[in-house]
Amino acid sequence: MKKIIIKLIIYIPLVLLGLEILIRTFNLTKDYPIRYVDEMGVEKWLPNQHGVSVTGIRRQNASEFRINNSGFNSYREYTPSKETFEIALVGDSFIEGFHQNYYNSIGKKIENKLNGIQVYEYGYAGYDLADELHLIHQYQDAFNLIDLVFISLEFETDLTRPNYTILGERMKLESPLYKALRQCKLLVYMQTIGILDAPKSLFSKALSQDKNINIDHPSEEETHSNLEYFENFKKLVNTYGFDKTRYIFLLDAEITPEAFLKYLKNNEFKYVDFSEILNNSKSSTTLLYDMHWNDHGRELIAKLISFYITENK
Amino acid sequence: MLFNSLEYFIFLPVVFFLYWTVFKKHLKAQNALILLASYIFYGMWDWRFLSLILLSTVVDYTTGLNIYASQGFKTRKLWLWASITFNIGLLGFFKYYNFFVDSWIDLTSVFGYHLKSTWTLKVILPVGISFYTFQTMSYSFDVYYRKIKPTKDFLAFATYVSFFPQLVAGPIERASNLLPQIAKKRNFKYNQIVEGLKLILWGLFKKVALADAVAPIVDDVFANYSSYPASTLILGVIMFSFQIYCDFSGYSDIAIGSAKLFGIELMSNFKFPYFSRNIGEFWQRWHISLSTWFKSYLYIPLGGSRVATSKVIRNVFIIFIVSGFWHGANWTFIFWGGLHAAAFTPVLLLKRNRAYKNSTIGGDTFFTTLKEITAALVTFSVVSFSWIFFRSNSLRDSFQFINRIFEQFYFEPYFHVKGYRMIDYYILIIVFILYEFRIRKDERNPIPFKSKYVRFITYTILIFMMLLFYDDNTDRSFIYFQF
Repeated sequence: MKKIIIKLIIYIPLVLLGLEILIRTFNLTKDYPIRYVDEMGVEKWLPNQHGVSVTGIRRQNASEFRINNSGFNSYREYTPSKETFEIALVGDSFIEGFHQNYYNSIGKKIENKLNGIQVYEYGYAGYDLADELHLIHQYQDAFNLIDLVFISLEFETDLTRPNYTILGERMKLESPLYKALRQCKLLVYMQTIGILDAPKSLFSKALSQDKNINIDHPSEEETHSNLEYFENFKKLVNTYGFDKTRYIFLLDAEITPEAFLKYLKNNEFKYVDFSEILNNSKSSTTLLYDMHWNDHGRELIAKLISFYITENK
Repeated sequence: MLFNSLEYFIFLPVVFFLYWTVFKKHLKAQNALILLASYIFYGMWDWRFLSLILLSTVVDYTTGLNIYASQGFKTRKLWLWASITFNIGLLGFFKYYNFFVDSWIDLTSVFGYHLKSTWTLKVILPVGISFYTFQTMSYSFDVYYRKIKPTKDFLAFATYVSFFPQLVAGPIERASNLLPQIAKKRNFKYNQIVEGLKLILWGLFKKVALADAVAPIVDDVFANYSSYPASTLILGVIMFSFQIYCDFSGYSDIAIGSAKLFGIELMSNFKFPYFSRNIGEFWQRWHISLSTWFKSYLYIPLGGSRVATSKVIRNVFIIFIVSGFWHGANWTFIFWGGLHAAAFTPVLLLKRNRAYKNSTIGGDTFFTTLKEITAALVTFSVVSFSWIFFRSNSLRDSFQFINRIFEQFYFEPYFHVKGYRMIDYYILIIVFILYEFRIRKDERNPIPFKSKYVRFITYTILIFMMLLFYDDNTDRSFIYFQF
């Protein structure tokens, strides 16, 4: 028995070390850029970082990212001026675009379609409307120089809170413990492909039993009615301001309640609906191993925005 | 509790540790621990069906004692039939009842009667029922044929029936092999434990990196066969051949490996069947515990091959069709069995069924001959063809699938449903075949290298391959659990 235990104590760490080496050798995991909250209270990436984002098993999708001076994934720096025509795309991971090479983003595609235009991509995974409007509000000086601002909005997920606060859940990922854990590429890979879901779920089940909480059912706080979302929307717009002449929502009308679309129209909020152009596409618009837009999907979104700009310039 | 689940990876070391420490000194305590662990293991699926196992245990324990105690031939036979009736009845009710009702309704509809299916019941199939009922029946048979004496130790017998490593999907053990091991003191043997751990790793590799990895391809091809050309359909069939082999033999390896951790040797269930040079050899290497069960308790009592040729053919068809039916209440399995009987009969009549009994492909040489490779490929093709019936949902689907292979006989590259590179799977399977060829002589020693460095590299690579081919969205249960 002793011999077996001793052998296991020797072999297991050695095998883990071997796996770590193999995973590093074949670059199977993504690089994690560092996130932080700047002096304006905006959560974003620490400026000037480079790396590769990997999705799926066996490096199925690998794309380069470049965090610019402003702390966002983009091929360009943001220097708005009165002389040039700039547009900003403000949104979540779809705009952030870690699933694509940074030089092949929606912004780049728009610039390719329209001469003399600069596109600034303020994308950050997990951003909701509170994050987006707060960001615009805090960077008012820059945004006042930007000619058009497209703000992505998904009714079901982006209106869950009435005001901006720094989300502890996301910033927790920058704690020393998480940073240290991320140094272990084996762990990162296992987490990415879902192997750690079972132990995590077992652990959380055990915890929830201790606290007598049933994790299978959403708590009351998680259940929001459409009415609450409406109220949150109004509060956010009132708190952070909204320039109806320059700000345009980018949304999927098919998954947005009719009443909310009506409200936007009645109150002169402009929006661009991308549901039709994506649904009419004969080829797939999303990645196979990911829900994000693929190259074709991004091309269609860029086409839609370019068309809107041309029509309204 | 699945072998490839986190629960099992906590459960197994805990039971192992208790078994060789706290319960080490007393045989009865060790057996009681295994019995308790087995009931927990099984109860985690559905604790209600534990009553069936317990009932089966009590019935066969009692009938075993009564068969032995009976003096007259008729009484002994009566007790044997009591055991058979009970076990087959259990199987018949839980597994085949609805099949017979539906088949009767279908048959009457041919003659213009349209009966309503009011007799069918919503019966859940208890996991492993086909395995443990056959195992307990084998005990009654062995006592009846005086191969073994019945045990008076109920605890040992209950442990034999419900031994968790092989409870839900075999190997279907003979009482003559397993019961004596349970009845006597086991000693901790370092080598046996290491062999067990190696088999568990090898079984897991086959399940995770191969069976589960190709499952989405197989599911896609069989679900959408009407829209694919012959090249894709053939690819799907080949992939299923590897899926079912790696799934079931992987399970068996984990079972045998787990049993070794408790000092118990289970019988081998697979001996590299895809290297078989004819269908006779295939059945000596595929699901050995079931095929030998049918041979011992059905084929030989029917007269085996020591009767007139017509009866030999009849016997062959009976065991293969019954074997097919054992797999599931569906005509596809019966047809699958019939197909194997048809392929096996000429081999038997030409007396080639045992031609390769004591040899492996390639013998002692590093490579094999072209003749043997051709023979193995022909056998693999026949077996793979039969898998179409095994995998399809209905006979109609099977025939349409085959029909489409001939009608749409052209090549088109296949793209993985989830966008993964197909070349990865082709390389994996080729490397797997070459590795299996390397280890083909001893199925119980899949990592046979003498150098500890080579062994260490092999362990690391096997785990690495599991990580590379792990698919989070695949149903990870074992195919044979449904039987």
